Amino acid sequence: MKKILLLVLSIAPLLAFSQGFQVNLEGQKQIGMGHTGTGTLQDGASVFFNPGAVAMLPENYVQGGISPLFFKSDFNPSGTSIQDRTANKVATPFEFYAVWGPKSSFWKLGLGVYTPFGGLTDWGNTWQGKYVLESLDLKAIYIQPTLSIKLADWMSIGGGFVYNRGSVDLTRAIPLANSSGQPGQAELKGSGKGYGWNAGVYFKTESGVTIGITHRSQVNTTIPSGNAIFSVPASLQSSFPQPNTFSATIPLPAVNSIGFGFYPSSKWILALDVNIVNWDSYKTLSFDYKSNTAALQDTHSPRNYQQAYSLRGGAQYKATNKLALRFGGGYASTAVADGYVTPEAPDANRVYGTLGLGYTMAKHLDIDISFEYEHLMQRTQTNIESQLSGTFKTDVYIPGISLAYHW
Amino acid sequence: MKTFKQHIYIIAGLLLLGACKPEIHTPKPSAGSVDFSRYISLGNSLTAGYADGGLYLAGQQVSYPSIIGKQMQSVGGGAFTQPLFSTAQANGSGYLSLTGFNADGTPITTAVTTNLAIRGILPVPGFGNVTLYTKYTGDINNYGVPGIKLIHITYAPYGNLNGYYERLLPGNSPTNSTTYLDFVMAKPFTFFSNWLGNNDALSYATSGGAGDVLTDKGTFAYLYNVLITTLTAKGQKGVVATVPDVTSIPYFNTITVSAILAGVQKANPAAKALYINALVSGTTYAPRQATTKDLIVLTFPTSMIGQPVSTPYGTLPYGLTPYTPIDNQYVLDENETALTEDYVTSYNTTIKSVAASKGLAVFDAYTFLQNVKQNGLVVDGVSVNSNYISGGLFSLDGVHLTPRGYAIVANQFIKAINDKYNSSIPQVNISDYNGVKFP
Repeated sequence: MKKILLLVLSIAPLLAFSQGFQVNLEGQKQIGMGHTGTGTLQDGASVFFNPGAVAMLPENYVQGGISPLFFKSDFNPSGTSIQDRTANKVATPFEFYAVWGPKSSFWKLGLGVYTPFGGLTDWGNTWQGKYVLESLDLKAIYIQPTLSIKLADWMSIGGGFVYNRGSVDLTRAIPLANSSGQPGQAELKGSGKGYGWNAGVYFKTESGVTIGITHRSQVNTTIPSGNAIFSVPASLQSSFPQPNTFSATIPLPAVNSIGFGFYPSSKWILALDVNIVNWDSYKTLSFDYKSNTAALQDTHSPRNYQQAYSLRGGAQYKATNKLALRFGGGYASTAVADGYVTPEAPDANRVYGTLGLGYTMAKHLDIDISFEYEHLMQRTQTNIESQLSGTFKTDVYIPGISLAYHW
Repeated sequence: MKTFKQHIYIIAGLLLLGACKPEIHTPKPSAGSVDFSRYISLGNSLTAGYADGGLYLAGQQVSYPSIIGKQMQSVGGGAFTQPLFSTAQANGSGYLSLTGFNADGTPITTAVTTNLAIRGILPVPGFGNVTLYTKYTGDINNYGVPGIKLIHITYAPYGNLNGYYERLLPGNSPTNSTTYLDFVMAKPFTFFSNWLGNNDALSYATSGGAGDVLTDKGTFAYLYNVLITTLTAKGQKGVVATVPDVTSIPYFNTITVSAILAGVQKANPAAKALYINALVSGTTYAPRQATTKDLIVLTFPTSMIGQPVSTPYGTLPYGLTPYTPIDNQYVLDENETALTEDYVTSYNTTIKSVAASKGLAVFDAYTFLQNVKQNGLVVDGVSVNSNYISGGLFSLDGVHLTPRGYAIVANQFIKAINDKYNSSIPQVNISDYNGVKFP
């Protein structure tokens, strides 16, 4: 007759998508120039950067590249001198583009396959925040067929349809110890899809400056039936029914961009991009479990993201006919307000710098390499929901390489 | 060969990236204005690391003083030694373990009775049986003695009556005559923590107001002054803690009058009320209907309810008539609760004023635990509250804490010390400590 024990535990997965996941690695030439490309025209990566510019490409393109991403976060819990660091794991954002149209025709078709959002964060199972997150592996692959039309010699437009395939694998400890004192574990694993579109316009002005304006729509990625795996002490397993599934929808935000290209001499290209990312559409993150119990309730975590912007600039110097040198950098404001920072991607305002090198290996073949260093400002936070309190600092190192064949 | 060399550079470059790591610069921990070289802890069962109804090695190893002692080592603290049970006798006094749940969700606990450190039971004339434990010889920093009250600290025969204290002394009961205060003071120290005083109220409360008495307020104030004056005689610094509100612990909040009554009414809808033997005033008790303000102890065997009891008025069901009230020992009734709270408030006024007069740090356990009871607490993604078992803070006896609870308390002590003495003893990682263990 003792009071029934309702093991009401908050096991809400505090999954955050944040700009930490906006990986901005969609073309090696563009990365080298500070990840600009809305207002310039370099290669098939325009499918992503500005579908409106694709029709202006003088040639057809097939190209692919990869950017191994070293994401290194450090967390110092408040009031301690402990340094908790993420494990050395390498995420592999990639890009593939094909652009084709009849020679000197007014239209071009394009296809892009790229990874604009993703994350691989592994804090391990002994750190201070293990009940918030142990590891997260998140992938979003966008597949985008595109049509671009040249309306005049000085103006072209284009648009694409986006099909997104996303997957998530998240683990965290559950604060229920078994007889040997080991905590339980939750793993949420699933994949889903979403749809969106993008459109752009590209101008060549009389002064020689090129301008691009694009809109990439929000893509709501829905995981309809992911696996919710809970390992807890046997006597509590009935509170965490197995097998179980979850559904969740995560908005990948709309991005509005304007970009400019300047050509002070035949050897130089200067580019400037401004992006506005509508993260403010991301208000709550809800997880709906198929089987609920008193201990396992659906969760609705406030996110209250704010609109973010980024400023990017870059330059290319054509040292010889075959060799291009590139550099650039930028600044991005965080979407995550104070109190909402989570260890999935401990977001903060960030600066980055890039270097790049392009080499024409053969008549139709370019090889491009790039390197990006990104620094997230140190940020001391207490998360409202988890009360995890401490300082995050993150550095990201991204080398990249691509091959482009054009004819 | 040339391409091989290029590959080497690329591989070396990638390895280099792997080796880079961000670093957050933190100020070096500082002792502030305190010498932490020998820290000692005074207190009762909570200080000793008692949990799940017993004192055993695993509980001792996560006692809050041992956690504090370990954290102090980065600011000049010395070794912190506890009177641990040996691994062969790791289960010490024995304790409760959770072995399952009944179909209705109520927990099943089983006593652990192997590998105990009990060396005998000694009948002490005029007192009763005293359980004696395997002696501990060696250095002691943690002087926590389960069961001790403030009123005992100057009582010379106490070393014969409390087996946990007797265990620390060289002599055997009944030949001991060293007071607790003298024992603690025998070796110099530079810093102390003191959490004595709980049992002066708690022993009365947990016995339902029937098996013990509250320590007189004046006596408490006198002894607390003696204690702190002695401890600080050579300018030692320290931290003291207040006495928690006894009603904030699950021992009094798990089995409720309304839950019992609801159970009775399921079988017998005619039952209208429970009856208890309640304090009227002074020492006068009389039967009356129980209300939600009367607290039932966790150890009450609820199966007793409704059992036939023969009375001068015939055979009547236990607990359901004024002639067969629930025994006093199972109930801390409304008046007893008020009385206890009045004493606790007085004790805490004493503790805080004495601490202030000596410039000591204070961990206000009363306020902290009351806050947890009312609002719960979230630490590093772990939600804790004052509920029995599920709350994660209190162990299976409903009075003492889990490792997680002791770690949280240790951080509160550390915070109080740091605030007072401008030190920066690092906080401990709560995530490393578990709540109740489930089978």
